[in-house]
Amino acid sequence: MTAPLEAAEPAVQAAGPGDERPVRRGTLQYALSKVGGALFSIAMVIVATFFVFRLLPGDPVRNLAQGRNMTPAQLDLERHRLGLDKPLINQFFDFVGNTLRLDLGTSYEYKRPVLDLIGERIGPTLLLAGTGLVIAVSLGVWQGTRAGWRHGGRFDRFSTGTSLVLWSVPTFWLGLLLMMVFGVGIGPIPGVLPFRGIESVDAPDGFAYLLDVASHMVLPCLTMVAVIYAQYLLVMRSSLLEEVSQDYVTVARAKGLRDDEVRRRHAVPNALLPTVTLVFMRIGFVVGGAVTVETIYTWPGLGQLFYEAIVVPDFTLMQGTFMLITVAVIIMNTLADVVYHLLDPRVRSA
Amino acid sequence: MRKWVARLVVLGVALLLAGQGTTAALAQNPAAGKKIVRVGATQAMDSMNPFLAVRIVSTQIHRWMYGFLTVSDSKTLQPSPDLAESWTTSEDGLTWTFKIRQAKWSDGQPVTAEDAAWTFNRIMTDEAAKTANGPAVENFESVTANGQELTIKLKAPQASMLENPIPIVPKHVWESVTDMANYDAEKYPAVTSGPYIAVEHKKDQYVKLVANPNYWRGKPKIDELQVIFYSNPQAAIAGLKNGDIDLIGRLNPPEYEAIQNDPDIVAWNTQGRRAAYLQINHGATTTDNKPIGDGHPALKDPKVRQALHYAIDKQRLVAEVQNGLAQPANGSIVPPMYKDFFWEATGDEKVGYDPARANQILDDAGYKKGADGVRTMPDGDRKLEFRFSIHTDTPIEDKLAEYLTGFFKDIGITLTTKKLESSKFTEETGVTGLFDLAISGWSVNPDPEEVMATHLCSRRPNAAGEGGGTESFYCDETFEKLYQEQLKELDRPKRIDLLKQMQERLYTDAPIIALYYNNDLEAYRKDRIASITPIPEDKGLLYGGSSYWPFYTVTVKDTAVTSPAGGGSNTGLIAGIAGGVVVIALAGFLLSRRRKSVADDRE
Repeated sequence: MTAPLEAAEPAVQAAGPGDERPVRRGTLQYALSKVGGALFSIAMVIVATFFVFRLLPGDPVRNLAQGRNMTPAQLDLERHRLGLDKPLINQFFDFVGNTLRLDLGTSYEYKRPVLDLIGERIGPTLLLAGTGLVIAVSLGVWQGTRAGWRHGGRFDRFSTGTSLVLWSVPTFWLGLLLMMVFGVGIGPIPGVLPFRGIESVDAPDGFAYLLDVASHMVLPCLTMVAVIYAQYLLVMRSSLLEEVSQDYVTVARAKGLRDDEVRRRHAVPNALLPTVTLVFMRIGFVVGGAVTVETIYTWPGLGQLFYEAIVVPDFTLMQGTFMLITVAVIIMNTLADVVYHLLDPRVRSA
Repeated sequence: MRKWVARLVVLGVALLLAGQGTTAALAQNPAAGKKIVRVGATQAMDSMNPFLAVRIVSTQIHRWMYGFLTVSDSKTLQPSPDLAESWTTSEDGLTWTFKIRQAKWSDGQPVTAEDAAWTFNRIMTDEAAKTANGPAVENFESVTANGQELTIKLKAPQASMLENPIPIVPKHVWESVTDMANYDAEKYPAVTSGPYIAVEHKKDQYVKLVANPNYWRGKPKIDELQVIFYSNPQAAIAGLKNGDIDLIGRLNPPEYEAIQNDPDIVAWNTQGRRAAYLQINHGATTTDNKPIGDGHPALKDPKVRQALHYAIDKQRLVAEVQNGLAQPANGSIVPPMYKDFFWEATGDEKVGYDPARANQILDDAGYKKGADGVRTMPDGDRKLEFRFSIHTDTPIEDKLAEYLTGFFKDIGITLTTKKLESSKFTEETGVTGLFDLAISGWSVNPDPEEVMATHLCSRRPNAAGEGGGTESFYCDETFEKLYQEQLKELDRPKRIDLLKQMQERLYTDAPIIALYYNNDLEAYRKDRIASITPIPEDKGLLYGGSSYWPFYTVTVKDTAVTSPAGGGSNTGLIAGIAGGVVVIALAGFLLSRRRKSVADDRE
């Protein structure tokens, strides 16, 4: 029964020994071209960042005054301090030079280096958004697999429906709802979960502290997962649907494998490819955090920092966080391209 | 693959369980046994450095930490001794001598006039140090110290000298700071002379302050004051309902209504510090009197402005826009809580709601109605169509715009709403003059000099169309003269009279039209806070009062002392059980799935 498959394999293998090196070189070349593209994108991001943030409405110096009376002399002084009195082209070269030296400037509002502010915030963001992503991917892939395998069944209709409803719900609304139900409690049922920040104000030490942080993560994570897992579910479901009708699946069944085995060993690995791409693209956004979720639950991450920067508006801080997020997305996309290349031989030959 | 998924699910469950278990862990709360008051704040702190901090929450925290020359008296709101225990003024009003109290910094060092002199001199000589309170020393010629005696020489007489808003910092701690612009002052414990000492600050999470045992008025009655930050108001309200915080100030009407009927919460509703008014572009100009912006020419006519005033039903705005939680304005920009300075129009001068009269005024002035019911200019065919600038994302301002549009339609004037993002709004209505009507408001200090100054000629943008700090582009000879007179008038009743005349001038000339005075809306938990004295003591403000007084006098209930943060032991138990059930259910589920897969393989 398995003979035809094994017979087919040497056909590919036949060109093998002589071909192996060129393939590797191809991979390297491919990777280098992708990295080159990424570097170019990053350069464009730096240029674009500079100009985009100068097109925004509002005079940053006046905004700093926050409604207090400032004399034109004081305004000029502030402008000078921030280097805003220089010609635009000089400002641009200063900006590029500093950025390349990883000096993202000093926040207008907090009067502290942007890199320090980002450094403080990146930990909580990676913790929250990373955990959220892992759970969402697991949940989405698992449900998507089941739903796609028994396409049209009760589980499919239920899980796809639920995930789509959650996907369509505004994050802010869902977050507040969860906060009310699990944080404040309804009627006689008390709320048990904290909904503000990453830790209690009088947080205990040691293991109890870990528990404290974990408990603070539950609601933000839940909100994040609820809103985003649908995309993994749908991608997984549809790519599995494509695989189900493929000949190799029929062959696998014909070999006499159990249904579960066919799914696990044959269909799912092939169907996972689009999900892998999606996951890598999302990892880039993890760095940006989830602005809405962080704002609802006062999570001290980058999303909240970015939001604060927009409200002020704090140009240098906005620039810094914006660049960090875009660069992370570019790097992750590049990685996705490379990994995809390694995972899927079809991309290599194309 | 399934094993992988299963592992992740287990991880998720572990997390969930960990969360549920925390409440129990909190039973060994290190805060237990302390008298703590937790104040919620929805604004992030900009800086712990009092030379740089401008946000309300930061200056409020600094009011709890530092002493000032004088503070508002808790009963009369008049300047009363703080670090300066007494003062004298020279004949010409140019030299002020303050006697600094024998007090101690929280590190045990004595407070001297040298500390105050250093603080003021630093602001006068270091541009970066001017960030927060630069204007407060603008009129200072020199500041010198001799033991406990502080001498301030002024460039010109200034009656509001005793309203100095500068927190006095310890010289021995601060003189080593060289780069003020980049100093964040995150050193704990901070060295302070006020009722509280900041001991910890986690950015956008919380600030902890402990009672200062050396405070010259005596140690506060609680052990610790915490400011807990929320990045959105709904979460803060939920936090109050939940008992995570004990008090929250600066609520808006819908937020206030959300807690109004909670049996555990005292809803605080008193006269407030804020006046809401319409800013009218009556011909905006720069400091060299050149026109700027694109205001509608009809608004230059005081008769049109008066007609607008008659057309506004302030009573209805209060009832339907502010949900009754404000007071209609029959005066100007000083709200009635400041009994001394408050001025109200009476008799013929009073402009009430009278659309017929508004129509009459416009008819008489020659603004004729066209076929479409919209009036036109007497000398041309430009219609009386005004723009009304408001902020984006402010439901209350949207509602106000709807009502005003209706009111003005009744007198043949079309109003269209223009929504602007906040920095653009500030620019167009305060500098470039690109507006006809705009919403505005001001939280007034016990001395109204500052708010009056926002209507001075000098506050307009300069010849280059920059800077300033005007609330109206107003430039009126009468108003200027009165302002200069009140600056020099050291006799309080006489000065009050001058300040009232200024309000009257603003009312009758109408470069702005006061709509209502917002109430001060706050809330606190009655199961935690036993007593708190507002400022002023008679129906005053709590957090909204920007004073140390309520938080110095606050006491907590004994029952609140030992209970751990958030939720009691019951919730811990419930959480534990719920967590357990979830884990067992999930474990069972996973086990059954594993059995099945094993069975599959066996077959």
